[in-house]
Amino acid sequence: MAYPPYSGYHRRVTTPAIRLEGVRKQFGKKVAVRNLDLEVPQGAIYGLIGPNGAGKTTSIRMMLDIIGPDGGTVEIFGSRDIVSQRHRIGYLPEERGLYAKMTVLEHLIFFGELRGMKRRDAKDEAVRGLVEVGLEENRDDKVEALSKGMAQKIQFLATILHKPDLLVLDEPFSGLDPLNVDLFKGMVLERQREGATLLFSTHLIEDAERLCEYVCMIAGATKVLDGRIAEVKAAAGLNSIAMAFEGDGRFLQASPNVERVADHGRYVEVRLRDRADPQDLLERAVRDGVRISRFELVEPSLREIFIEKATEAGVSTEDAPDTEEVVAA
Amino acid sequence: MNPFTSKVLAVMRREFMQRVKTKWFLVSTLGIPLLMVGMMVLAGVFISSAQEAEEVVAIGVIDASGRIGDLMVEEMLADSILASRVAELDEATEQEVRRALPQSDYDVFVRVPADVVEGGEDPVRIFGRDNVLDTTTDDTRDALRRALLRARLAESGVEEVNAERLLAYPSMRTVTVSASGEARSQEMFQAISLLIAFFFYMILLIYGQMIIRSVIEEKASDIVEVMVSSLRPWELMLGKIVGVGAVGLAQIGVWALVLTVAGIFGLSAGAAALAAQGIPLPAFSIPWGTLSLVLLLLVLGYLLYAGMFAAAGATISNETDAQQVAFPVTMLIIVPFIAVQGIITSPNAPWAVVMSIIPFFSPLVMPPRLFLTSVPIWQVAASILVLVGCVLGAAWVAGRIYRVGILMKGQRANLPEVIRWVRHG
Repeated sequence: MAYPPYSGYHRRVTTPAIRLEGVRKQFGKKVAVRNLDLEVPQGAIYGLIGPNGAGKTTSIRMMLDIIGPDGGTVEIFGSRDIVSQRHRIGYLPEERGLYAKMTVLEHLIFFGELRGMKRRDAKDEAVRGLVEVGLEENRDDKVEALSKGMAQKIQFLATILHKPDLLVLDEPFSGLDPLNVDLFKGMVLERQREGATLLFSTHLIEDAERLCEYVCMIAGATKVLDGRIAEVKAAAGLNSIAMAFEGDGRFLQASPNVERVADHGRYVEVRLRDRADPQDLLERAVRDGVRISRFELVEPSLREIFIEKATEAGVSTEDAPDTEEVVAA
Repeated sequence: MNPFTSKVLAVMRREFMQRVKTKWFLVSTLGIPLLMVGMMVLAGVFISSAQEAEEVVAIGVIDASGRIGDLMVEEMLADSILASRVAELDEATEQEVRRALPQSDYDVFVRVPADVVEGGEDPVRIFGRDNVLDTTTDDTRDALRRALLRARLAESGVEEVNAERLLAYPSMRTVTVSASGEARSQEMFQAISLLIAFFFYMILLIYGQMIIRSVIEEKASDIVEVMVSSLRPWELMLGKIVGVGAVGLAQIGVWALVLTVAGIFGLSAGAAALAAQGIPLPAFSIPWGTLSLVLLLLVLGYLLYAGMFAAAGATISNETDAQQVAFPVTMLIIVPFIAVQGIITSPNAPWAVVMSIIPFFSPLVMPPRLFLTSVPIWQVAASILVLVGCVLGAAWVAGRIYRVGILMKGQRANLPEVIRWVRHG
């Protein structure tokens, strides 16, 4: 992975791709975003995590100047005039659509032009892109004649056609064809390897954990934490245990050292209290006659950290981010 | 700053091409002139066949005065009208005349009252078996006029007169003169004014709906967010309005071409017919200055109303609400459209002057005034300045409504909400 050489998250080596400072937005009486600060370094893969309704989409819309913030500043590549930077951004909103009556090629050219490309260049790129995603046969088809999966491919192409330096993707993987998820990940990661910055939002925390180097977690319009995932996890300490066993799990509730248990299906993640000895838990389990097949000291998952930090911050965790949606058991 | 950036041009081109390529455009562009020409031809066929079907009417003249009946028959025969005296009914009452008609060989009885030569108040009555034709009434009036003249002159001692020559008078034609002394034909410009008002009204209604639908389409197909991440909402709105307007211009252009060609054919045929009858056609020059001023007013009017339609479209999310939000705007257009019917007869009425300066009305009200009267220059200037100001103001307001509205989904926004959008953007 070719990241620029950052020595730390908060030390600015180059101008950040995105910088928000004290950004807030209110719709009527409802606060959508409360004093949000964040910085996305150039070349990073950055995940914006939070449950539905946490304020992710509103934050993203303010980054693109689709809606104006009530207060605070937004900078894209160091410029407050976001409109002047728009040709460098590729944006895929959560609600994405196409004009039903246009042909595939017309559509791509139109979007290329909207992102500041010359008509001829847009056409060349569109033709090349259609070959890449295997839709060269469909270039003169009307969009309404395409399958859902094909339409999704056109949306990806339209997003990266103009080779943006910054990709902003709002819930990019939700509702995608499984095959398209991989195709699209490949396409955006290729752009990122060529130097583009990638910011995406998701309510699926595991998506972010797998893909991102940086995360920002928001819940209830408020930032819960942000930073490099490695640093976030290191700060949380090594006091989680991944445990797989057969038998009665009552010992988990009985142990005074256990703070929280998250059931991941094939194993449970046990969060211990500060300075508690994992050995105590193991002893209890053995005493209860439970057969243990895995007992491993692990970094807490992002989900665990999220719940902990959100509780500390006094934000309701009722609507914590969803855990991965298991497709097939 | 040039508002027509390449992005706005891209939106314009898309809106234009997508519409021009539809079957609807082809059908309405070529169909409407064909329909109009077809209707004219049909009307002509009906009128000429009605004229052919006209039968010879046998007129019986009943003369209660006993002094004018023979003269009338004489004059009617001179005009090749089939007429004769029915002297046996001269003393009959009206009721008896009515009873006698069905049993007689006549189609029409004309009954002249007793004091007709003295100029009495009693009317001449014409009884017909069927509908009495206008030509019969006209022929009767002409013959009666000449007969009366002869009867009255005979009383003062003049015996032989050629009444037709004595009563001959030329036809009349009104000519309005502009400030620069040019003549203009009133009727022609009245017709043109009505035609322009009608077409502009139609265009606004049709294309207004088109703009609303185009705004909703982008909302409904979830495409609008990508659009506004690439260009400013007002740029999107401008591109849409101008693109859709260009479709309208293209359509009007085709219509104008067809009408001009048809008009040239019609006029040359008509002129030939008139020349054959010895009637010279009045000289007619096209007032280019007035026409370009009218075009400017219409374009500004379109922008004003299109902006309002776009803003209206932004407040709703589905097509079923489209009629409802378009209604207030449509009402605003209907007012000047109705007013035009009065303005063509009294273009200088105070209310006409006032309406020609009010921005929502001036695009429809000013053109007929420009055609039909000499509008003081200050009124023209005021009208255009107010209109330009209003177009800019409306664009600003509509832009703000649009900016917030296009990202809203679900319920139709109510008025207080829309006012809040305008105030806070």
